[in-house]
Amino acid sequence: MSVKKFLSMTLIVLLLLSLTACNHQMGILNPKGIIASEERKLFFDALALMLIVVIPVIIMSLVFVYHYQVSHRVKDYKPNWSHNLYLEIIWWTIPCIIILVLAIITWKKSHELDPFQPIPAYKEPPMLIQVIALPWKWLFIYPKQNIATVNYLEIPVNQQVEYWFTTDNVPMSSFFVPQLGSQIYTMTGMRTRLHLVAKNIGVYEGMNTQYNGNGFAGMRFQAHVVDPAEMQRWVTKVKASSNHLTNQTYHQLLNPSFSEPPKFFAGTPDDLFNHVFMLYMMNTGPNHPRENTNKFHQE
Amino acid sequence: MLQELLLGKLTWADIPFENPFAMGAGVFMAIALVAILLLITFMRKWSYIWHEWVSSVDHKKIGIMYLILSMVMLLRGFLDALLMRGQQAISAGHAVGYLNPSHFAQIFSAHGVIMIFFVAMPFMFALINLAVPLQIGARDVAFPYLNSVSFWLTFVGAMLCNISLVVGDFAQTGWLAYPPLSELYYSPDSGVDYYIWSLQIAGAGTLLAGINFVVTIIKMRCKGMTLMKMPIFTWSALCSMILVALAFPVLTVTLGLLALDRYMDMHFFSDFSGGNVMLYVNLIWAWGHPEVYILILPAFGVFSEVVATFSQKRLFGYTSMVWALVVITFLAFIVWLHHFFTMGAGGDVNAFFGIMTMIISIPTGVKVFNWLFTMYKGRIILTTPMLWVTAFFTTFAIGGMTGVMMSVPPIDFQVHNSLFLIAHFHNVIIGGVLFGYFAGIIYWFPKVFGFHLDEKWGKRSFYCWVCGFYLAFMPLYIVGLNGFMRRTDHYDNVLYQPYLIAAAAGACLISIGILFQIIQLIVSIRKRKQFRDHTGDFWNARTLEWTVSSPAPIYNFAFLPTVSTIDQFWYDKERQIGEERIHPQDIHYQPIHMPKNTPLGFIIAIFSGVFGFALIWHMWLLVCIGLIGMIATVIARTFSTDTDYYIDAETVKATEIAHFKEGVHA
Repeated sequence: MSVKKFLSMTLIVLLLLSLTACNHQMGILNPKGIIASEERKLFFDALALMLIVVIPVIIMSLVFVYHYQVSHRVKDYKPNWSHNLYLEIIWWTIPCIIILVLAIITWKKSHELDPFQPIPAYKEPPMLIQVIALPWKWLFIYPKQNIATVNYLEIPVNQQVEYWFTTDNVPMSSFFVPQLGSQIYTMTGMRTRLHLVAKNIGVYEGMNTQYNGNGFAGMRFQAHVVDPAEMQRWVTKVKASSNHLTNQTYHQLLNPSFSEPPKFFAGTPDDLFNHVFMLYMMNTGPNHPRENTNKFHQE
Repeated sequence: MLQELLLGKLTWADIPFENPFAMGAGVFMAIALVAILLLITFMRKWSYIWHEWVSSVDHKKIGIMYLILSMVMLLRGFLDALLMRGQQAISAGHAVGYLNPSHFAQIFSAHGVIMIFFVAMPFMFALINLAVPLQIGARDVAFPYLNSVSFWLTFVGAMLCNISLVVGDFAQTGWLAYPPLSELYYSPDSGVDYYIWSLQIAGAGTLLAGINFVVTIIKMRCKGMTLMKMPIFTWSALCSMILVALAFPVLTVTLGLLALDRYMDMHFFSDFSGGNVMLYVNLIWAWGHPEVYILILPAFGVFSEVVATFSQKRLFGYTSMVWALVVITFLAFIVWLHHFFTMGAGGDVNAFFGIMTMIISIPTGVKVFNWLFTMYKGRIILTTPMLWVTAFFTTFAIGGMTGVMMSVPPIDFQVHNSLFLIAHFHNVIIGGVLFGYFAGIIYWFPKVFGFHLDEKWGKRSFYCWVCGFYLAFMPLYIVGLNGFMRRTDHYDNVLYQPYLIAAAAGACLISIGILFQIIQLIVSIRKRKQFRDHTGDFWNARTLEWTVSSPAPIYNFAFLPTVSTIDQFWYDKERQIGEERIHPQDIHYQPIHMPKNTPLGFIIAIFSGVFGFALIWHMWLLVCIGLIGMIATVIARTFSTDTDYYIDAETVKATEIAHFKEGVHA
């Protein structure tokens, strides 16, 4: 028993540690966006609902095993007692009720927090950022501002941003800024979407979560959430740069590279995003579209 | 030309001489193999090994071989785990650790494949082979020769996977080989081909074994054993085997299509020319999700047997237990999409699969309560199998809880692919499946080998395993919530490091647990005379397998038993029925009809191994030899009429007398 006690104590301490640790770290329990906040709330709601059953189960299992040991010579021994309708009704019903509650919440929240859907509370049209996953780096295109960045995301606080995703010359990836909320897969020849609102100014870690080759661990960026005026200044500054994203520079980006430092481009090729995902969607040839120019697999 | 026909793509450059880990493991395996072969030669055991084991169609021996395969592969898979934990414990900040990304990728892919296909699956088939025919009062499985084919195919699949250590690479794609990463353009090496062919061969074996046991359980139960009087472990095996029979064809087709993509430039799953990546992801999980229930259901069966036996009390709510199993079996097929909520399927689809997933927790919860109330008002004997069950309740409750949490799609959006997910499924697969199988093998060990395992070392290993488990996986929940993703070979943020060091320490503690299990086995073998199970009913248990001697005679039952209730053996013992046993001297025995041993299962599997290896390296001549060899052997077997024999009545009598005498003297 002492060992079990020790174990459960360790467990509780570890869990508590985790909760405190998260407050000053970059986890999903320390949300900085409204989607992430909603999801954090959902996380604890689900946890609380589950604990209604889990805690009694853990306690009962330990108490029963301890109490009914042969050596304790408990008088009450019923070797053939194996059925009780009322008891069984209780433990079919309680989980059913809990799951019913959770199911209703799930149905509602799955629709509310569907990453493809705009966030209803924000009426003005969202700002669009097109994201292309490239061999182990992220390309962010701001079509309206006509700028682009690599592994660097800057977004205004308190404004809805709509992200479009596709992929070029890299296996399926997944875009994720934990503190802003909801990750989503990015695939070639497809366009996935995500709507996010950042609530706090700050710098947050962004990453790819889906293993996609040797450079996976370094496929990271920082998401800078700034106030709109600051954002405007930044856009102007990037626009002033002489570094343009041309088809040629884009082809250089298609070559695999590890832990790429941020890059900034003024001006982007027209409709690059649509061009990339149509390239894969409409492709019918026997070779991969990038096979001859930007081979993914390096010998 | 000839070289290409013979050797295909294989060249000296494919042997990783520069890689110390692969070479070390390869040399170690070679030394171990040579040592074993020399030992067999030295002890003049070749004939014994060939006739009594390789050719055996006896379900008990096949079960033991499955068990050995699983234990050996556990060591390999666990070494991979240690390497990964070690890598992540040190590769913080600017450090990159001792594994380069592609080697790290091979290790995490191999770890997953080995642990599921070559540890958990053989372990499960070991338990089912060892226990089910005895539990249902049968003399063997329905198709004994097929059983041997199944085992050897699994064995060859595992060996193919091991060869990839030294010849070429293993897949660098993760254990499910998602395209397009597993397509030729992104992974032109032999790694994914090793993955495909070792799983195809092992998967074929699994499918055949699944069909075999469905038929065995449906058709070969003893007189009076209606479905609702079957031991609960047999019920769980039936449900699991039905899942095998329905799910494994999906795996075969999916991997077949991937192979067509890679070998014949088709575009089922490629990311261009009309291929659809998510089609593969759907298909592989349409197999993959039932697969985890295939593994856990027999573990549930073991818990039911162990809890009832060691609480010395009838299993609570047998009918509920059976229906819970059946409901889980059905639901297992309609939840697969929860593995990729993040593909962006929309609210309706995600919510449907999320809710279906959480519904599974209802029958599972019911099972847990039934186990708890089996202990309630029982008389619990805390043997090692019972300790594993006790630990299971807590770990499984935590693992189940995090599982239900992740079934809510918006929560999954936040923890998908993170170490939170890794912690969750290790929580249920180690804390549920593996703990259950450990309990099962300790429980049936006396029945299989005729002596029980050492309790002292068993308990020591148990404590190391459980403490190591919590230490290794609880920190992963925490770093997962803090944005640490699976398959990360190095990371910049040093704040993660303490947790990952703790996890590595946990893995070390588990390795001590494994060491103690090995010691336990050695000690038990040395004391086997002292630990002998004389009566055949070592635990005072409830089901038919305990009515025969330990180990069971080759024919299992001299007379096929008849039952009229659940736990007939316990019922009889309670009422002292058969207490005054008739001396076998006075019984008139009949000759027993038995299947004859045949090495053809082994030979078919060897040809399949040649076929698979040749396909991996495009050695087309050898491919033809392997394929023709397989087909010819199968056909040759159909012409054989010499497939059965009779054990004469005198032999049966002598065996039964020996067991009777031993029981009396005990």
